[in-house]
Amino acid sequence: MIFGMHDGVLFHLGPIPVDHLVVTQWVIIALLGTVAFFATRNMQEIPRGLQNAFEMIITWANEFFTQLMDKPHVAKKWAPLLTTFFLFILVSNYSGLLPGSATIDGFQPPTSNWNVTMTLALITFFSIYVAGISENGLHHFKHFVSPSPAMLPLNLVEEVAHPLSLTVRLFGNIFGEEMVIAYLLFMAPFVVPAAIMGLSLLLGAIQAIVFTILSASYIAAATGEGH
Amino acid sequence: MGAALGAGIAVSIAGIGGGIGMGVAGGKAFEAIARQPEVGGDVRTLLFITLAFIETLTIYGLLIAFMLVGKVE
Repeated sequence: MIFGMHDGVLFHLGPIPVDHLVVTQWVIIALLGTVAFFATRNMQEIPRGLQNAFEMIITWANEFFTQLMDKPHVAKKWAPLLTTFFLFILVSNYSGLLPGSATIDGFQPPTSNWNVTMTLALITFFSIYVAGISENGLHHFKHFVSPSPAMLPLNLVEEVAHPLSLTVRLFGNIFGEEMVIAYLLFMAPFVVPAAIMGLSLLLGAIQAIVFTILSASYIAAATGEGH
Repeated sequence: MGAALGAGIAVSIAGIGGGIGMGVAGGKAFEAIARQPEVGGDVRTLLFITLAFIETLTIYGLLIAFMLVGKVE
């Protein structure tokens, strides 16, 4: 019962246990996939409705990451991954606020469990290496001994601290927010939790943005000339 | 009893530090935007990154508090 974890293994897929978090993520992926499918099916020259909204997101994301990462081809390469991070984390964070979601036994937003957030952070961790090596070749590993070999231990610590802090930040925020809402619901069932839930709409979006921006800046740092 | 006290102290001290840091960072950012509104976008992005780093330290305190609360009977 550590960290309010609900041990909810629903069924086994061969030797792999499938728990409630995995199923929730499947639902989120299916939802995003379906919306994207219907938005891009039967595309028009002059966009309307859903296609228009998606084109706006893509244009905005490309511009934003180009400005943030200052190498346009790197930004163009990594924008799809980072935008997917943003959409997935946003929908995950908001899934806990859906009316009625608390009545499902053992339901929790996937991002309020640190197995999920660490998975996301590890994707970033390996993306940093892929981006650095594809951009600078083996010179990427020079950053371990920059500015001098004496900094090697600190650089190694930093390397681990990046994914760890991404994990803990997202998990801590969403889990903390869920706990606050749960305690408030327990103490004052009506009206009062609505204020915190309104605040957590904002928090969920900010955490999604922060995760995306930090991933982008780590990747940008790995592909920069400094290394 | 000790664990409950520890949890409260952990999260409150972490909160004080994070609050001061965020206040200083946010205040300076608003000052910068008020003086030079044209750099607003850049300052906002940097502010978000900075706040995220500050917040992580507070969240570490919260994490320790959760671990301690798990020990309370």
